[in-house]
Amino acid sequence: MDTMFTLYQFNDRLALSYKIDRISIIFLTAAVILFACAGVYSCYYMKGKEHMKRYWIFFVGVLCIISLMACSANFFTFYVNYELMTLVSSPLVMHEQTKEARLAGFKYLIYSFFGAYFVLFGFYVLNKYCVDLTFTEGGRLDMTLVSGHEGIVLLAVFFMVIGFGVKAGMWPLHSWLTTAHPIAVSPASAVLSGVIVKAGVIGVIRAIFYLVGADFVKGTWVQYTWLILILLTILMGSTLAYFEKELKKRLAYSTISQVAYILFGLAMFNTTAYEGALMQFLAHAFAKCALFMIAGVFIILTGSKNVESLRGIGKKYPVLLWMFTICSLSMVGIPPTGGFLAKWYLIVGSLDTGRPNFDWAGPVFLLISALLTAGYLFTIVMRGFFPGEDYVDDGREKVKLPLTVYIPIGVLMLLCVLVGIIPNLFMGGGM
Amino acid sequence: MSAYWIYFAIFFPIFAGVLLILAPVKKRNTMLVIAEAITIITAIVAWMLIINPPATGVVLFKFVDKYTISFKIDGMSRVFGALISSLWPLATLYATEYMEHEASDKTLKEKTFFGMYVITFGVTMAIAFADNLLAMYCFYEMLTLVTIPLILFTLSDAAIAATRKYIVYSLGGAAFAFISLIFLMAYGDTIQFTLGGVIHGEIPDGRENVLRLVYVFAFFGFGVKAALWPVNSWLPQAGVAPTPVTALLHAVAVVKSGAFAIIRLIYYCFGTEFLRGTWAQYLTMGVAIFTVVYGCSMAVKERHIKRRLAYSTISNLSYILLGATMMTPLGMTGALTHMVFHGVMKIGSFFCAGAVIAKAHKNYVYELEGMAKRMPKVFVIFTVCALSLMGVPGLCGFFSKWQLAKAGVESGMTMGYIGVGAILISALLTAIYMMQMVLRAYFPVEETEGEKCDPSWRMLVPLTLFALACILLGVFNAPVVAFLEKIAGGLI
Repeated sequence: MDTMFTLYQFNDRLALSYKIDRISIIFLTAAVILFACAGVYSCYYMKGKEHMKRYWIFFVGVLCIISLMACSANFFTFYVNYELMTLVSSPLVMHEQTKEARLAGFKYLIYSFFGAYFVLFGFYVLNKYCVDLTFTEGGRLDMTLVSGHEGIVLLAVFFMVIGFGVKAGMWPLHSWLTTAHPIAVSPASAVLSGVIVKAGVIGVIRAIFYLVGADFVKGTWVQYTWLILILLTILMGSTLAYFEKELKKRLAYSTISQVAYILFGLAMFNTTAYEGALMQFLAHAFAKCALFMIAGVFIILTGSKNVESLRGIGKKYPVLLWMFTICSLSMVGIPPTGGFLAKWYLIVGSLDTGRPNFDWAGPVFLLISALLTAGYLFTIVMRGFFPGEDYVDDGREKVKLPLTVYIPIGVLMLLCVLVGIIPNLFMGGGM
Repeated sequence: MSAYWIYFAIFFPIFAGVLLILAPVKKRNTMLVIAEAITIITAIVAWMLIINPPATGVVLFKFVDKYTISFKIDGMSRVFGALISSLWPLATLYATEYMEHEASDKTLKEKTFFGMYVITFGVTMAIAFADNLLAMYCFYEMLTLVTIPLILFTLSDAAIAATRKYIVYSLGGAAFAFISLIFLMAYGDTIQFTLGGVIHGEIPDGRENVLRLVYVFAFFGFGVKAALWPVNSWLPQAGVAPTPVTALLHAVAVVKSGAFAIIRLIYYCFGTEFLRGTWAQYLTMGVAIFTVVYGCSMAVKERHIKRRLAYSTISNLSYILLGATMMTPLGMTGALTHMVFHGVMKIGSFFCAGAVIAKAHKNYVYELEGMAKRMPKVFVIFTVCALSLMGVPGLCGFFSKWQLAKAGVESGMTMGYIGVGAILISALLTAIYMMQMVLRAYFPVEETEGEKCDPSWRMLVPLTLFALACILLGVFNAPVVAFLEKIAGGLI
């Protein structure tokens, strides 16, 4: 696994090279499984839509670029693939070609580039202070160069955190997420939420743990500011999801808060919390991807985007709603799902750090958010199964759903549970 | 190669252009073939000179003792000369098709156009090959004069207004530059271009700041052609000219002559030693940084395609000036890199816009709806150029920004970091105004009807070459940058 493959050397500092390490494996696992499931699901969802050739070209293109990004061996390679991923994934957002879709795609592109250029600033600065750009555990900072310039290097790190945070939906630059995800076609929103958003997380991991070195950032203002932003994001995402009436938008807000959990685990700079973050990474990827797919089916079945119209849906489509329930369990963090184990590690890790205020504030925020998550997901389940006395059937015929719906969603749901039961299988032996 | 070939590269197109205007050529095609042949021959000679530069210069004319009009080919000349002589034949080829749309029945007018176009080539080569400030100044003024008929071409009210503004701005700017010429004659060792500057030894009575003020005057004076804020407004207005003029002259030749002159001024006349770390540096750098952001913001606001690209040029030219005002070899490398790379990407995007104007008669951004279906080839090329301008890694725009940012960070100045920030803000704004056009073309809200109208090979060949150049210069940027680094280090 240690061999590095250099594809092309642009100049003495910038080369496209690839290597596989633990982070690559985790990211690749998530990406390949999610894209495979979303691909199968597309056969159902995209039936009869126009521009299917374009759709498949870009769908497969995104997967290729993401796989390359997962295996990047240095920061330049990562950055190249990161920007390409943004560009190549935007046609999926705009697929419907309505005015809103195009605006959403534009917003997605511009926010992403905004983030990417923040990252680029950090990259420019770090390029001066790093020995080279190869990812190495513990970082590549040249301490003799850095001494006396800590301020600017920390600023560069902060810029990177904010920049990658845009993709990861971190407050205050999250708003593209709730515009682009609901408007994209459902298989695309599933992979957007499951994988593409996570690219921001991977970026942070690569930048902080593999380029700068966690020790350099630990205990600085960067860590504290970052933590505050993350905690705000967690709370904001869950709260807004709770009050949101549109199903896919609710899930998008949920993504904002759940991905912030991952960031929280990273920002604590504690091994247990780090493992928790990686586990949350996988658990959320599987669960949210499945939820978006189910949401897509619901929208087709009921013809409405709102949560209200899901009343009584469990009467007609019990299997689908059961799947929704199990994925929700993982989102909230109820055993035996992956979400539970992840949150357990996050909280234990956070309590271990002994950082004043943050060691207890983190768990408190996580628990409040879990409560809100239960609030916004389980209400759907409850009203779906128990619509109440005054429920009148909307009169739509029950449609027989094809296997292209049940299989991908079922696989993801199973994985959600498996992450909680046999984490070692997924975590690259880190546990 | 004998140094006398320099005369050929400069005066052959000038005289041939004059003859073309005067000669009784009746058939349009004959005239076009002659114009194209002149540019190709000149370009070949220029390239031979650039690859194999003569060791000595040539003196055309001598005023008094050391003040001469003379030419010599040094590193800077080679870069600018190579850029100009690569683009000119392609732009002329493009113009042969484009001008059908501008003036199909007026062969005489078209003949004047092509004649002046060819003459401008010679004058720009003279600026590139000039050996001292006096020679450069003379041809710089001449450049203003010979491009007037090109902007005036349509003879509409807008064209007349634009031309008037152009004359006032350019000649006024040159006057400011002239002041520096006088002072350098008085205080410099010589007015020959010398890397490192010509101001040495004691400057009497603490006149340093006077001299620095003169530098600032000259910076703004030459800055008129480089469309520096606050003297930029002539450039978007000059967009009334036919696209071959806006694309080649107002994105490369004329405006980059301004940037070229400023690099000459800083690195070869006043010298970085004399200016670095003084108020003069901070002032000029600050204005360049401001222009970088200003140009892009205006481009986002603008809805006319060509004017939008013109504002984008304003911003990108100031990238070059930003690199130049860093006053380090790295800064100069960055400036030269962006000069070359931006030339290719911007002329490419302008020519795409021109193709849309000529073939589909669309002038505004909102009219681009669904155009990618009607002109698939043009829009693939436009997308490549747009991505390159935004600085998507792998394409050439990324690497010129990389060099500029590297210079900014290495300079260690706070202004350097601010400059890097400005470049990134501008990159974001570039993404906004370029992607807006690309998305409109590729993702129309309503499917538009209309025939396919991709242009013929005379437009497509130059366009394809520019798109290829965007990619190839990005992939093989290392040797180019290494060459420019040597120039900035005085090794070539």
